[in-house]
Amino acid sequence: MSGPTFVELGHYQVRKRGQGADGDAFLSRKASDGRIISALSDGLGSGVKAGVLATLTASMAVKFVSEDIPIRRAAGIIMKTLPVCSERRISYATFTIVDIDSQDTVKVVEYDNPAYILIRERTQVEPIKGEIRVTRSGRGRPARGAVGREAIMRYSEFRARPGDRLVFFSDGVTQAGMGTRAHPLGWGAPAVQAYALSLVEDKPDISARELARRMVQEAEAVDAYAPKDDISCAVVYFRRPRRLLVMTGPSVDPARDAEMAAIFDRYEGRRLLCGGTTAAIVARELGRTVKIVLERVVRDVPPASVMEGADLVTEGIITLGKAAELLERGEAAVRAERGPAARAAELFLDSDHIDFVVGTKINEAHQDPSMPVELEIRRNIVKRVAATLRERYLKEVELRFM
Amino acid sequence: MDGEILKVIICSGTACFVMGGSELLLLEDELPAAWRARVAVEAAPCLGSCKDRSCGRAPFAKVGDEGLAGATMPALLALIGRKLGETNGA
Repeated sequence: MSGPTFVELGHYQVRKRGQGADGDAFLSRKASDGRIISALSDGLGSGVKAGVLATLTASMAVKFVSEDIPIRRAAGIIMKTLPVCSERRISYATFTIVDIDSQDTVKVVEYDNPAYILIRERTQVEPIKGEIRVTRSGRGRPARGAVGREAIMRYSEFRARPGDRLVFFSDGVTQAGMGTRAHPLGWGAPAVQAYALSLVEDKPDISARELARRMVQEAEAVDAYAPKDDISCAVVYFRRPRRLLVMTGPSVDPARDAEMAAIFDRYEGRRLLCGGTTAAIVARELGRTVKIVLERVVRDVPPASVMEGADLVTEGIITLGKAAELLERGEAAVRAERGPAARAAELFLDSDHIDFVVGTKINEAHQDPSMPVELEIRRNIVKRVAATLRERYLKEVELRFM
Repeated sequence: MDGEILKVIICSGTACFVMGGSELLLLEDELPAAWRARVAVEAAPCLGSCKDRSCGRAPFAKVGDEGLAGATMPALLALIGRKLGETNGA
């Protein structure tokens, strides 16, 4: 698990009007040591060529930094690699690289993108930025006149606090509307910052995804809905994590029933029980009752139950299998479906950190060869759900087998 | 005695559900009109019978205090009928 917060990343972009491809690129990746590295790059110009350069830059950035090349050095390598336009003598792609470690220490290197906005407690904070100078010399540099030219990058580092939001974007945002009567010099950094703050003010729990989208849509509006450049925005939201406990399956050792019930009882967050026996054990240990709700029965999944303290109680293998299938098909499939499996899938989607406590006792009745359907082993289904949640939905997932 | 309600519990645990218990959950719709007022249909997350081989095979149900293994809709209805008859005769 990473630091004290859950890091939610959101990104949204629109392309320059008339272009068939995005000229900005945003990439993010979770490194093996838990760091989250993301990069936003704006390729010179627009369309495919800009898109290729931006993607190249962002890929290099994310790759270098996740392979433990220090962010300053990585930025230096990129600067030296990037070709400089021979006519305009400016670099082919700008970038913002954000490296967040497991203790929420954030390192940012910016090169020619508008300065990022850090929002803390509904106000903007400005960390001190240092300069990194890279002399763009070297063999085989194609740009005439560019030899010896210095590129200046800005480096900053801070420790994020719960609730912080880091907003960074391409100049399509700050320069939106340039040349119009309302914004002759473009929307401008101060107005962009004020707008970001107003969005957070209006909706303090606004998600990273929504904030990024609203920023871009506003820039698009300032541009009279005919963007004159690619507009992209990324947001990192250091959210207090929404936690979910998923308890499924009895332990191989009945002596641990009380321990399981205690984990359930003390959990701070929402609770999902998957499995009839599991529910019966927890109910017995805590002196509660489990009651099935027969009103909304769907054909393919056993009905859900209610129990005090549980947000949802379902059957185990079939429901989890169906939930896995829905999650693999995507959010739209989850929202379109009804029944206990869809409700379980929604609980997963609405959580940031998911703790699975999985009992590994195998129900022999499930292995009966005369079963009309083959029942998967619980552990495998849980692993499948966990992998989907991690990889596709970037959730933090912990598995504990009992 | 006429006033007594016969409680029917259908197991909706995994094994029972796939072995035909899913159909049994629709018992309410299959009950003859004359019985409806005298029978309460419920489901259980798991009756636990599948873990004990001596209980027979899934799907399981319980009618009053009597367990039913390998339950089918006709078998369940027959048992309910017998139970209602018994209580009537008592």
